[in-house]
Amino acid sequence: MLKKGDIILLLVIVLGILSAVFFGREDAVSLSNTSGIPVDNIGITAIIKKNDKVIRRINLTSLNKREVINISGVHKATIVAEKNRICFLESDCPDKICVKTGWLSQPGEIAVCLPNKIIIKLEQDKNQNVDGVVK
Amino acid sequence: MKNNRILIFLFFLIASFYLNGCSKSNESNNYVEKESFQMGTIISQKIYGSNAESSANKIIKRLNSIEENMSLNINTSTLSWINTNSGESQVFHVNDDIYNVLSAAKHFSELSQGAFDITVGPLVKEWGVFTDDPHVPTQSRINELLKLVNYKSIEFDPEKKTFRLPIKGQMIDFGAIAKGYAADEAVKICRKDGIKSAYINLGGNVYVVGNKPDNTPWKIGIQNPRAADGKYIGILRISDKTVVTSGDYERFFVKNGVRYHHIIDPRTGWPSNSDLISSTIVTDSSISADALSTATFVMGLNKSKELLKKLHGVDAIFITKDKKVYITENLRRYFDFQDESGEFTYVEKG
Repeated sequence: MLKKGDIILLLVIVLGILSAVFFGREDAVSLSNTSGIPVDNIGITAIIKKNDKVIRRINLTSLNKREVINISGVHKATIVAEKNRICFLESDCPDKICVKTGWLSQPGEIAVCLPNKIIIKLEQDKNQNVDGVVK
Repeated sequence: MKNNRILIFLFFLIASFYLNGCSKSNESNNYVEKESFQMGTIISQKIYGSNAESSANKIIKRLNSIEENMSLNINTSTLSWINTNSGESQVFHVNDDIYNVLSAAKHFSELSQGAFDITVGPLVKEWGVFTDDPHVPTQSRINELLKLVNYKSIEFDPEKKTFRLPIKGQMIDFGAIAKGYAADEAVKICRKDGIKSAYINLGGNVYVVGNKPDNTPWKIGIQNPRAADGKYIGILRISDKTVVTSGDYERFFVKNGVRYHHIIDPRTGWPSNSDLISSTIVTDSSISADALSTATFVMGLNKSKELLKKLHGVDAIFITKDKKVYITENLRRYFDFQDESGEFTYVEKG
C-alpha cells in the first residue's frame, strides 16, 4: 500500500523529470539564438552580413511579398528577396560576381560581394544535407 | 530514515538530469560563426566550444599577418618586395611563414615536374584572370614570359633562410598555396585551444576539426563543376581532414566564343588543357591539398593517379571532361554520389 510519504515522493520524481526535460529543451532553443534575433525554425532563412555583422535575417519560406534591400557604402548594392529565393539584383562593384551568382534558393548556398564585403547565405536549422560545399 | 535515503538518491538523479541537459546543449549550441574578408576571399569559420570566440579572433589575426606577408595586392608585402626586386643581386631574409610556403612549394614543384610552379606569376599577371580586364596574350608574348617561369631558378637557402629571384621580371605567385598554408595555421590555433569541433573555409579550402558536436562526421558537398554554386555531385563524410578543389569553373572569361579559365599551365603559358574539369584532394595537410589540387588538375587523370600512388594518406576525386567521376579507393566508403543533374557517371572501378 502506498503511504502518504510515498505519494509525495512519486510526485517529486515525476515533477523533477518533467521539469528537467522541459527546461532542457528551453535551454537549447534559447542558446541556439546567440545573436538575439528571432528566427523561425521552419524553412530557409537568408542571412545578410556586411563586414561580418548580421544586418538582416529573412525567412524566405514565409515571405509573401517581394522585398528590396539597399545597402550603402563605398559601393552600393541592391538585394532582392522573394518567396523561397534571394539574389544580388545590382551592385556598382567592378566585377559583379555577386550579381552573376544569381538566385539562391538552397540551404548552404552563398553569394558574396567581395568589394562591398557583403555576404548572403541561406541556412536551414533542421535537416541540413551538407555542412558546406567545396568549390 | 529509509525515506531520507531515497530522497537523497532522487535529488542526485534529478540534478543529474539538469546537468546532463546543460552540458549537452553547451556542446552543440555554444558556437561562433564568423565571416571575414581576408586574403582576397571570404573566410567562414564555425567553431564549437566555450573558447570558440577567442579562437576565431586569433585566427582572423593570424590570417591578417599571413596576408600582409604573401599578398600580391599589398605593395608593402614581403612577396611584393621580393617580386619588384627580381634580378637584383641582393638576397632577402624571409620569415618563417614565407620559408615554410617556399619549401613546400619547391617540394610540390619537383613532385609534379613543374605542373605546379610558383614562378608562374608573370603569366598570371599577363592573362589578368583576377582583374576586371582579362585578355588573351599573343603567342610571342607568352613565349617571352615562359622564359621567366622556372621554379628551379629560385635561389633559396633553407639554412640561412635567404631568397632571391635571379632573372629580372620573375614573379612568385602564392595563389595556389597560400590559402592552404593559412588553413593549416588556423587549425593549429584550434588544436592549441583545445577546440574539438570546427569547420573552417578559406575561400574554398575547407578544413574540418574533429567531428560535428553530435559526434557524426562533417558532410561536405563536392561542387558540380557544370552547375550553379552550391550544387554538388556528391557528399563526402569526413573528420579531421581538409578538402580542396581546383576547377575550370571557379574563374573564367569568354573571348570570341572561347572560354578561358584561371589555372595557367606553367609549361605552356595557356590555361591548363588536361582531361580534368575538377580535381579535389582530401588529406590532413591543407597546404598539400592546395598545391596538389592545382598540380593534378594540370597533370590530368592518368598522371595524377600515378602521382597519388607515391603519396601516403592523400585521396582524390577527379572529374573529367566527359563527365566521369573517379575516386581513390580509400575514399569510396565515405563518398555518396548524388548527382541531381544526372549528367555525371560514377566510375567505381579503376
